[in-house]
Amino acid sequence: MASVDDLDIDLDSSAPLLEVRDLRVHFVTDRGVVKAVDGVSWMVNEGETLAIVGESGSGKSVSAMTILGLIQSPPATFPSGDIFLRGKSLMKMPEKQQRKLRGREIAMIFQDPLTALNPVFRVGDQIAEMVRNHQKVSKVVARRRALDLLGEVGIPNPAVRLNQYPHEFSGGMRQRAMIAMALANDPQVLLADEPTTALDVTVQAQIMALLVKLQEDRNTAIVLITHDLGVVASHADRINVMYAGRIVEAGTTDEIFYEPRHAYTFGLLSSLARMDHRRQERLTPIKGVPPSLANVPPGCPFHPRCRFATEACVVAVPRLETVSGNGHLAACVHSDQVGMANEERLAQ
Amino acid sequence: MTETPDRDLRLPAETLMTEPIGEDVLPVEEDSAARPGKRRRNRGQLEDIWHRYKKNKLAMVGLIMVGLLILIAVLAPLISPYDPTQQNLLNTIEPPTADHWFGTDTLGRDVFSMMLYGLRLALLVGVGTMLGSLVIGVTVGAVAGYFGRGWDSLLMRVTDIFLAFPYLIGAIVIVRSIDPGQTEGAWPVAVALIILGWTTTARLMRGQVLSLRESEYVEAARSIGASPRRIVIRHVLPNAIAPVLVYAFTSIGVAVVAMASLSFLGVGVGIETPEWGQMISQGFKNFGVPNTSYLWIFPSIAIIITTLAFAFVSDGLRDSLDPKLR
Amino acid sequence: MGKFIIRRLAQAVLVIVAAMLLLFVALFTIGDPFASSGDKVVPPETQAALRAKFGLDRPLPMQFLVYLRNLFTGDLGIDFDQRREVSEMLAQAVPYTIRLAAVAIVIDILIGITAGVIAAVWRYSVWDVLVTILTTLAIGVPTFVIGLSLRATVSGEWFFPAVPRSAFGPEPFWLAEVLLPAITLAVVDAAFIARLMRGSMLEIMRADYVRTARAKGLSERKVIGKHVMRNSVIPVVTYVGIGIGVLLGGALITETIFQYQGVGFLLYKAILSNNNPIIMAVSAFAVITFVTLSLVVDVLYAYLDPRIRLS
Repeated sequence: MASVDDLDIDLDSSAPLLEVRDLRVHFVTDRGVVKAVDGVSWMVNEGETLAIVGESGSGKSVSAMTILGLIQSPPATFPSGDIFLRGKSLMKMPEKQQRKLRGREIAMIFQDPLTALNPVFRVGDQIAEMVRNHQKVSKVVARRRALDLLGEVGIPNPAVRLNQYPHEFSGGMRQRAMIAMALANDPQVLLADEPTTALDVTVQAQIMALLVKLQEDRNTAIVLITHDLGVVASHADRINVMYAGRIVEAGTTDEIFYEPRHAYTFGLLSSLARMDHRRQERLTPIKGVPPSLANVPPGCPFHPRCRFATEACVVAVPRLETVSGNGHLAACVHSDQVGMANEERLAQ
Repeated sequence: MTETPDRDLRLPAETLMTEPIGEDVLPVEEDSAARPGKRRRNRGQLEDIWHRYKKNKLAMVGLIMVGLLILIAVLAPLISPYDPTQQNLLNTIEPPTADHWFGTDTLGRDVFSMMLYGLRLALLVGVGTMLGSLVIGVTVGAVAGYFGRGWDSLLMRVTDIFLAFPYLIGAIVIVRSIDPGQTEGAWPVAVALIILGWTTTARLMRGQVLSLRESEYVEAARSIGASPRRIVIRHVLPNAIAPVLVYAFTSIGVAVVAMASLSFLGVGVGIETPEWGQMISQGFKNFGVPNTSYLWIFPSIAIIITTLAFAFVSDGLRDSLDPKLR
Repeated sequence: MGKFIIRRLAQAVLVIVAAMLLLFVALFTIGDPFASSGDKVVPPETQAALRAKFGLDRPLPMQFLVYLRNLFTGDLGIDFDQRREVSEMLAQAVPYTIRLAAVAIVIDILIGITAGVIAAVWRYSVWDVLVTILTTLAIGVPTFVIGLSLRATVSGEWFFPAVPRSAFGPEPFWLAEVLLPAITLAVVDAAFIARLMRGSMLEIMRADYVRTARAKGLSERKVIGKHVMRNSVIPVVTYVGIGIGVLLGGALITETIFQYQGVGFLLYKAILSNNNPIIMAVSAFAVITFVTLSLVVDVLYAYLDPRIRLS
């Protein structure tokens, strides 16, 4: 579609689009080793939306930024794992090649669109910079492309907006501009880190609708990182639930919402108010706070907050195991009890 | 903003947050409650500051130096071998000897004794200027910041006018108009430095108060009917004062150098007062005369030691008051 | 933008007039220039005549207005010693000081920004520690000590012309003459700029938009050189504005030490000979220059930071 110049990296088009395998990202601090990501695997294919859900500090942003090579080492270390784009290892790739992929094959949008745009450059120039960094085109062409992109993401009056500065944009407009920038080179993967969290509720829906439309047009894979189950429910194909740096449950959106098999997922759902239920059900919050990643509890990291916890939970870290036929995984000693508790909840 | 060189170079946990990681990624900051065995919460704020200050070696060196300087200044009459004003026109510009460790000046006075008294004067003027600027600046800044509107614009325009004078040139004008004959000693210098120095304090203070005025706990105090006076004194001042105090401490060194610069230029204390700038100016006037460089080298070293000592302390203070600024 | 400049300009004019009033009160009304020589030197009736001649018998506000009018028409009075127009003497000295200040600013911006960037980019490295030590020393050592040391050691050798310069003989090459005083003048500012630059770079480097720039696949060089630098120099520009006042004071000292024929040396000689008209003229010049340059810096600041420009 776009005239992106040749990439001298041979990608295997039959391999999965983006695959993360047993990724660990640790930070050595004077308070101990912070295990931000601790053995995470997932993959995503074109046209698909994978949601990574978790509370802040669960490691979901760090894994996304590792994919883009934005985590600096030191202080970070990568004890294990690899990331593959079309079968090509990103971790083993020299920085220079990685940079060619960044913004071109894999792009990212961030949580706070005000601080994510440079305040001293015009919005149009920031988008054009993205174009010119990966395509050999003139300034004029890059600006025209920026203009088209602004129009495409639904910014009215794009010719005027092109020459404005980020602070002259509203929050939703800024996020649209960020999306325009991210899509400038038609990337295959879009990492969206809390793309709607900083926005008003009505704007949130517009931005999500925009992402869906752009995804349909381009067949982009979206990795949607969020703590908001509501956003996930209507937009994700599959969901990974993360807790304390690990994936604790993975499955399709329906499986996660209707058949959760990990106590944490179950807790999240029980604390969620649902509009489609006539009867006022009781919301049960998860007690306590997420653990410090420098000091993760032994065994299942969730056990201190878990209503199902037994001594078995403390002994060893539960493995992520298949709980039902088609790739629904959970790392919970008591996944059966959780399943039963969930049926009771739904029956109410 | 500035690091002291011998600080522990291991990465503190806070610097992790400076890497391009989302703020929400590493919740290492909020977990102090979850960590048993730490007494952090129980310690008073002052103790906390002192604890951080102690760890900074350069700041401790500065503190010891300041302590020694004060001690020497207080004990000057006991230590000094000669009366610093005693002239001896038969023994002028004599390079250092066993009798006169640092030599004698153009009037035959003992340079070592003069330096001790010079230290005394420098500290008096430095601290006096700091206190004067602090009192005026904090008051004006608090009034402008808290009452806002008319008060604010009036007072800030006044600071604008004072800030229009380059420091040294303003000081020359003021000292000459207060004391044209150079007969009054050092107080006109102190007054001039206060007149020019309070504005910065006032602006700092105003900025602090402005941001605190809208804070929730001040709002809360206001809503329960506390008087403005009480709010400013009890709630705003203690929280606004930290950067102001750091600046005040820095200004001691600035005042010491300013007084020396003034007398070097022939403004301020007269020749009969033992003062470092005055002494350096003697050396300067004898430039090219062989074996006279001790005249300016000794007092120069004294000034450097004094300003460095105060600079170390104020840098240390700043870092320990606000660890985030490191 | 236009509105901003006009408002700022009006403010500057008001500040200058008020500052001139203060100067006027400080230097002319407290000391009576003719009484200070004493009745025996100048008889009372002569004093009265002189006062009438110079308008000193008129009410103060009138005197001030006359003085202001003279100031803005370039009439700065007559120098007591040399019986020359003060404005002429000032005009002769100003280019020297401009040259000195310009060279000093170029030196301190170049050194300060380079050192600050190095210290920030390679944080905790040997270079960072070195910059920290050097800036601490440079800020702790007063300008006149630096100047005296340089003059005692380097001056008169190879490139730097001898000080005091001979009244006869050829005029030294301007850059050779200006270099030592300019270095002296630049040291403190360079240290401040380095610290400021380091601090502001470190802060900007953790900004979200820098992360965005990296996520675009920009090279580290572009990320630092464009996105970080452009934002980091904003506080430095502000500092340079404030620093001009310090620079003018410092010029007074360095010019004196190196007997460099600028405005500062003129002022020094005037102080020694109790020459009020020159002190007055130089002070007024310093205030007006300072306020004007601050204005320029403000406009530059607004240009660099669109958030200010457009609000």
